[in-house]
Amino acid sequence: MTATATSIASPASSQRKKTTARVIWYVAGRIGQAILVLWLTYTIVFVAIQLLPSDPITIFLSTDAPADPELVERLRSHYGYDLPWYEQYVRQLANLARGELGFSISTGQPVLVRIGEVVGSTLLLATTALVFGVLFSVAVAAGAYLVRASRLNALIVAIPSVLAAVPVFWLGIIVLIVFSFQLQILPLFPDGSLISLLIPAAVLAIPVSAPLMQVLLTSVRESGTLPFVQTARAKGLSPRRVFVHHVLRASLAPAVAVLGIVIGALVAGSVITETVFSRPGLGNVLLKGVIAQDVPLVQGLVILTTLVVVLTALVIDLLLPALDPRMLRGGDLTGVGRLGS
Amino acid sequence: MSKSRDRLARVFAGVTLLALGLTACSTPPAADHTGATATGPVEGGELVFGDIELQTDFQTQRGFNYTQTNIFRSVLDRLTDTDPDTGEVVPWIASEWDINPDNTEFVFTIRSGVTFSDGTPLDAAAVKANLDLLGQGEDDKGIVPNRDFIGYESSEVDGDKVIVRLSAPNRDFLRATAGSTASLVSLSTLELDYEGQADIAQIVGSGPFVFESEVPDELVSFVRRDDYAWPSSLSTNQGAAYLERIVFRGIPEVGLRVGAVTSGQVDVARGVQPSDEDAAAAAGLTVDAVETPDLTANWIAFRGDAPIVDDPAVRHALQIGWDREGLKSTVLSDSYELSGSVLNRTAPGFVDLSEQIEYDPEEAARLLDEAGWVEGADGIRAKDGQRLAISVAASPRSVVIRPAVEYLESQWRALGVDVTNNAGDSAILTTALGDPEYAAIGSRQFYLGGLGPLFSGAGNTNTYYDDAELNELFAQQRAATDEEQWNDTVAQIQQRLVVDTGLVLPLWDEAQVHAIGPDVHLSFDGGSAPLLQEAWVSE
Repeated sequence: MTATATSIASPASSQRKKTTARVIWYVAGRIGQAILVLWLTYTIVFVAIQLLPSDPITIFLSTDAPADPELVERLRSHYGYDLPWYEQYVRQLANLARGELGFSISTGQPVLVRIGEVVGSTLLLATTALVFGVLFSVAVAAGAYLVRASRLNALIVAIPSVLAAVPVFWLGIIVLIVFSFQLQILPLFPDGSLISLLIPAAVLAIPVSAPLMQVLLTSVRESGTLPFVQTARAKGLSPRRVFVHHVLRASLAPAVAVLGIVIGALVAGSVITETVFSRPGLGNVLLKGVIAQDVPLVQGLVILTTLVVVLTALVIDLLLPALDPRMLRGGDLTGVGRLGS
Repeated sequence: MSKSRDRLARVFAGVTLLALGLTACSTPPAADHTGATATGPVEGGELVFGDIELQTDFQTQRGFNYTQTNIFRSVLDRLTDTDPDTGEVVPWIASEWDINPDNTEFVFTIRSGVTFSDGTPLDAAAVKANLDLLGQGEDDKGIVPNRDFIGYESSEVDGDKVIVRLSAPNRDFLRATAGSTASLVSLSTLELDYEGQADIAQIVGSGPFVFESEVPDELVSFVRRDDYAWPSSLSTNQGAAYLERIVFRGIPEVGLRVGAVTSGQVDVARGVQPSDEDAAAAAGLTVDAVETPDLTANWIAFRGDAPIVDDPAVRHALQIGWDREGLKSTVLSDSYELSGSVLNRTAPGFVDLSEQIEYDPEEAARLLDEAGWVEGADGIRAKDGQRLAISVAASPRSVVIRPAVEYLESQWRALGVDVTNNAGDSAILTTALGDPEYAAIGSRQFYLGGLGPLFSGAGNTNTYYDDAELNELFAQQRAATDEEQWNDTVAQIQQRLVVDTGLVLPLWDEAQVHAIGPDVHLSFDGGSAPLLQEAWVSE
């Protein structure tokens, strides 16, 4: 019965199947690439660790106390660092494939547990910062498009460069001195209040929004000259309407495409923001891991961060055609930056 | 309603201030200094201790960082304690002890009636189990022997006594039992794997405070144990703690520590930098530079076999080629004392060698000239084509080490020495500690088991130098039969390390500078851990 149904399929459904097959191949290909990137990251991190002058155990022990060679030997064998490099490579890779990231040397906890403890806090901070970043960026892009006064416009256009240059570390300390010590409205230690989330998130949004703004400004400028925008303007639509319904929409794709970079900036920024604002989180754990020379922990964090960046890129690649149907026209599913061409 | 509007107004005020960028240098408003009239300890209340960071590993053997010892002091008890004024070992859980003339057998009498917070007794059997783990480690758990328990063989229970046997004489074994790494935990804790023993929530101790809660990377809190009655013999409070609850938090950013106390968000902050001390005092805080006889002084150790500094003339020239007083006046503050040896002035056995390492630029230059280091066109000396260039690494945890090495850098440059300052860079410190060829590292370390574990043998990460005479002196120190002999040997060790070999360059006595709120009554132990069992906060 089923066989018959398949064999008499209409040409239209076979065309649909072809498309489906192409999409499946495309998605499978992208997932394959993602796995390849992850494997490469693991390998690069592994090689980097092998190139260190000593192994993670000696490194960890030596930071605070004189290391006893016997003690080093014992721990080395406990953590498997006494094996030949190829055995370590395969063993760790097999563990990774099973989702095991090994044990943190500084806490003895499984790396995943250590990360799991704080990942929620970073996600909340990073998501809030991202929302702020997007809002800042759209506001600046809108300002640059809508404000005609040339001096003010020049000022607005300069904002991204200024934000990119502001040291988050310095800004965070100033914000704390003002809001926590002088005005006493922001607790130095996060207490779950809205303000203790919003202020650090706004600070973290600064470095994150700089690249977003730059891309958005450029593409708004380019989109503004496209024929359909000029048509909309000629129809007599208000500049605000033109911006929201035509320019912004057409400019979103490139901005979304840089989200991968933005996620990287979020991780880097969270190291600083979480340290300054005494917030628990991945950035804080990463910094501690680096200071304590906890190689398995840092390795795990690098691989997880790569995973997040790779997944974001994957999702973006899959979403872009939906945002900007012009991309599908050329049958090029991966192409970005075709605007204005 | 008006409250939220007020809040909004303050946010706007904040944004305005921020935009003007006026505030970075202004001082915080002075704290309301009520000047509590001390009528005696007040029961109850909470104390928040702001440390430089929060620890996550609490396995006692790894408890050699301040951030761990500060917490252990309030949660775990030890066999003995050290007097912060004299360095003398005094009773705690061991009410008395007896040492055989050979320093190979130690008999500890265990105080009766001591219990862990789970109700099990802290008796001789529990002490033996702890000492065995400390002395022997546990291979399959990845727990290593305590480095200060040199020669530990076995323990035996005899009634309320524990008899410890060592394979070789070690008089310093007694002092080692006062160390934070020798803190006592319950039998159930000892049964845990490494992960369990490292988890503060799972550690069961007999101390004055009991674990309450932990928010990873945010805080750890403890509550008073009402039936606590066995503090160190030094404690001014022989019963339960006055404070109801203690909370530890981390303030990694050095510039925020004083503000955290003035704004009342913590009661005490550790790790105050010299430049903030005046502001803290002006705001009504007590600036307490806590001396630490349980640790060595701050020093720079030269790697005896590393290129350039393997030349004793270079080491000696570096020792005397900088103006010591200048370090104190430009980098440090009145909270710090320049050190006269590898040990702190307050440590037992300290000998003052400062006259022998006094600033003498002419002599320093003469030493280098004589050794063949000739000044080149760039002002840096060289010998056989090799420039007189050294690197110095040190821990990022000290608030003063980096500027101190910057000062040395400028002083040594005048002598014709090129210095790369890597102090405060933990990545470089890591490499440097594992690399015997790296010229010099700055440090200060707990040394309750004597200086032997820090400087003996070719494998020690401080000097990487195997000096037969030093090794012999360390053995003599452990075998010393009386205090005089011990003091004499410790004096010879200091002389050998600092003056004869020039391997160690003394900097300043170790001190941990704390900013303490006006209502807080707090003292510290010999390793600068806060004594929260006897602390109190006035209303």
